Amino acid sequence: MEMDRESGKLEQIVSQFRSKILHVVLDSRVPSLHRHQQQDSLSLSRVRKTDKWFNLVLGDRPPALENLNFSLRNLLDPMVIDIILVRHASCSSSVDNLYSPSAAAAAAGPSTETVIERWVVQYDCPRVFASPSGADASVSYKKIYKKCILLLRSLYTQMRLLPAYRIFRQLSSLNQTYNFDIVYKVSSFSHPFSREEEDGMKEYSFAPVEALPGCLCVSVTYHATLSDFNLEPLVSLPPKIITDYVGSPTTDPMRSFPSSERGAHATSFPFRGLRPPSSAPFQRPHSWSSGFHRGIPPTKTQSLAGSPPVYRTSPKPYDITSPPTDLYGNRIQNHRVSILQQATAYDEYKLSPPFSPSASPSTPTYLSGANPLLTRHCSETAPVTIPLPPTGRSNRYLSPNSSDPSRHSLPPLSPRSSKHDTSSQESPSGIRSYRKIEALRAGESPSGLSNLYSAPKVVRDSKDDSGRFSGLLSSSGSPRIGFSRSSSRLSFQDDMDDCEFSCPFDVDDVDVSDSSSQNTENKRSSEFTAQSNLVGKKSQDAAVGILVHMLRTAPPLRQDSSCYSTRSLRAEYEGGVGIASGFFMPRKTADALEELNSYREMKDLLLSKSGTQVRKEGMK
Amino acid sequence: MNCEVCQLKELEVEHFEIREVLRCILHTIVFHRALGLVRPKDVDLELFEITYVQCGDVELEKKIDERIDHFISWVEKHPNKKSQICLSFYEVKSKQPSWFTNKTERLYWEQWYVNLNVTQHPKHHSSKSHHAKVVVDPGESATEDRSSRRAMVEASLREVLFQIIKFVNEKKDHVPPISDGVIYFPYEITIPSSSDSAFGMDMIKRMLHSGHPTMLS
Repeated sequence: MEMDRESGKLEQIVSQFRSKILHVVLDSRVPSLHRHQQQDSLSLSRVRKTDKWFNLVLGDRPPALENLNFSLRNLLDPMVIDIILVRHASCSSSVDNLYSPSAAAAAAGPSTETVIERWVVQYDCPRVFASPSGADASVSYKKIYKKCILLLRSLYTQMRLLPAYRIFRQLSSLNQTYNFDIVYKVSSFSHPFSREEEDGMKEYSFAPVEALPGCLCVSVTYHATLSDFNLEPLVSLPPKIITDYVGSPTTDPMRSFPSSERGAHATSFPFRGLRPPSSAPFQRPHSWSSGFHRGIPPTKTQSLAGSPPVYRTSPKPYDITSPPTDLYGNRIQNHRVSILQQATAYDEYKLSPPFSPSASPSTPTYLSGANPLLTRHCSETAPVTIPLPPTGRSNRYLSPNSSDPSRHSLPPLSPRSSKHDTSSQESPSGIRSYRKIEALRAGESPSGLSNLYSAPKVVRDSKDDSGRFSGLLSSSGSPRIGFSRSSSRLSFQDDMDDCEFSCPFDVDDVDVSDSSSQNTENKRSSEFTAQSNLVGKKSQDAAVGILVHMLRTAPPLRQDSSCYSTRSLRAEYEGGVGIASGFFMPRKTADALEELNSYREMKDLLLSKSGTQVRKEGMK
Repeated sequence: MNCEVCQLKELEVEHFEIREVLRCILHTIVFHRALGLVRPKDVDLELFEITYVQCGDVELEKKIDERIDHFISWVEKHPNKKSQICLSFYEVKSKQPSWFTNKTERLYWEQWYVNLNVTQHPKHHSSKSHHAKVVVDPGESATEDRSSRRAMVEASLREVLFQIIKFVNEKKDHVPPISDGVIYFPYEITIPSSSDSAFGMDMIKRMLHSGHPTMLS
C-alpha cells in the first residue's frame, strides 16, 4: 500500500516534470501558442496549481499541452520535442502580405522545414525495480523534487541563451512579419538526424536527476547558428512620411518640424523591413514575464508606456516608427531622460520659431492645434525624444554619458549674424506661442519661466552686439544658464552634460565691465539657482531652453543697431535716463523698446502667476 | 556539508558595462538559488543581445543594485584594477553562546566569485602609414573596434552564464533543503573594501607562503 503511494508520488513528479519542461520549451519557442491568449491582470497575479509544481510560475498552460499530456501517458517513453523552423519560399512583397501572412505563406509555394532544436526528456528506468520505502523514500522524494527544481531553473535560463530564442522573439514581435515561422512537434520517438543535419548542431545534456529507481535525463540538440537560414522580415509597405508620430509637432507643441535642409530625413524613419536582417537588432521589450505578455493585443496604455514596446500594434502608420523609437526609448527609460534633455533635443532640430517667416507652413499648426494626443503626452512619465535615423547598432552602445552624434550639431552660438528680420509683429505671436506653451505645461511649475524674467540686475552687455534679445536675456535669463561665471554656469553644464549647447547669454558672450556688480549678481544668481533648483527644476530648464531658442532665433532689429542696443540698455538700466535717451532714438529702436516692454509685461505676468518677487532695478 | 566554490571566468569590461554585466550574472546565480515559488522575469540587456532571468523579487533586486553601486564606487576609486565580487549562500546555525562566539553562525555552503577586469578603453588613434593608399577614417575604425570589442564581451558573458548553468547542474547535493515560505537562500555579496590594498595582501601572502621576510627592493 505504502509502496503504491510512494511510487505514485514518483510518477506524479516525473509526469509533472515532463509537463513543466514542455511548457517552458513551448513558451519560449512557439509564439503562435500564446498569440491569441488573452491575459488580464487577475490571471497574471493568480497562481495556478500547475504553477506551484517545481515553484515556477509560468502562467496558463497552452491548450495543446493538455492534449499532449494525455497522449504521452507512458512515462517510460521519451518525450521528444522538436522545434521546427518553417521557411517560406520568397514571394513578391505586397501590402497584403503584411496583413495576411498566412495568405502570403500559402501563395509563396513550398516551404522548408528544419529541426533547429530537439529536446529529449526521458526517465531512464529499469523495468523491474524496488522502490525505496519509509522515511528514506520521503527524504528521497524531497531531494528528487529539489533537484528537479534546479534542473528546471537552469533549463529556463538556457532557453534564453540558445540561438533559437532570438528568432522566437522576432516572431513574437507583432510589428513585423517574417518569411519564417516556428512550429513544434511532440512525440515519443524521434527520427534520427541525417549527417547533413547533424553538421552544425551541438548537443548539451543536463546532469541527470537521480530519481530512484531510474533517473531523469534532459538533453538538447540545437543548431549553433541560424544565420545560414536567411531569415528575413517581409518587405511590406513603401516608405511613407509619417507626421503624427509620438513627439511630432502635430502631437507635441514643443516641437516644430525640422528645417528644410533636414527635410524628410528627420521625419521618415527607415523601415525595418528594408533593412538587412544582420543590421537590424531584434526588438526586445525591456522586461516581461514569461508567457504573460506575448500575443496580447496591445492596448492604448501599452503603446503609451512603451514597455513592452514591441507589442504596440495598431493600423495607424505611425506605429511603424516604433522600432527605432524603441532603441532609444529603452535607453531613455533606463537613464531617466529628464525633460531638460528633451528640451535639449528640441534645440537639435534647429527649431524655426513660430514667428519666423522662414518657418515651414506646417509649423503654426502645432501652436494652435488642440491635439487630443497632446494631453496624453503631457501626462506621460517617460518623455521620448524623437530618434534620429539610426546609424547602426553602435549608436546603442555609446556610453550612457555620450549622446547621439547629432547632438553635437547644435545651433550656432549667439546670433551675432543671425536672422535679421525686422518685423516686429512677430514678437507678439512669439509671446502668444510662449503663453500657449506655458498653458500646455500646466502640470509643471511655471516658476521656471518666471525665473527667466526675475533678474534682479542686468549684466552690462557692453560687448554684446548680438541683438537686443540676447542682451535682454542675459539680464533676465535664468541664472542657471550662465548669468554668472560661477556656480550657475556649472550647474547648467551639469544638467546639459551631453550638450555643447551654447546660449546667447552664455558667459563667453558677455563682457561685464563692472566687476563689483557682477559679484553681487553672482550671489544673487546663486540664490536664484538654489531657488530654481527647488522649484520645478526640469520644467524650468525645459522652459528656459525653449525660450532661449525662440529668442535666439528671433530676428534682431538691425545689424547696425548693436551700438544703439548697448547704449540703450545701459541707458535704461542706469535709470532715469531711459526715457530721455529713448526720445532721441530712431523709430526702429522705438519698436525695439516696445518689444522690450511687451517682454516685461510677459515677465510680470509670469511672475504674478508664480508669486516670485521681482526686484525692479529702476527700469522704466 | 562542504562549501562549493565556483570561480567564474574573468570578464574584461568597461566602466559603463559594469552594472549590466553584474546584474546579469548576479541575478542569474540567485535565480538558480531561489528555489521557492518564483515568477520568473525576463530582462533584456541593453548593451548586449542577452536575456537573463530574475526571480522577480523586488527587495532582492534593490539589494543587488545597492551592492553594485558600492562596487562601482569602489572601482572609481581604484581604476584599472582587477576586482572580484563574491556571492555567498549560507545557512544560519544557532550555536551555544559563549564568551567568544555569537549565538548564530553562518555556514557558507556555496561561494561564487565574479571576476572583473575593469578597463578604460584606449582612445583610437588614427593610423598613419607611410604607404597609405587608402585614407583611413578614424571614426569608422573606432566604431569597428568598439563593435568587435562589444561582441567579445558579449561572447564572454554568454560563456559565464553557461558556466553558471553547468555548475548548477553538476553540483546539487550540497544545496540545503528548501524551507517553506522562503523564496531564496540567505546570501551575501562581498565587494572589495576601500581599505583593501592589493599590494599589502600580496605581501602578507608571500610572507606566509615563503616563510621568510620578503626582500624589499
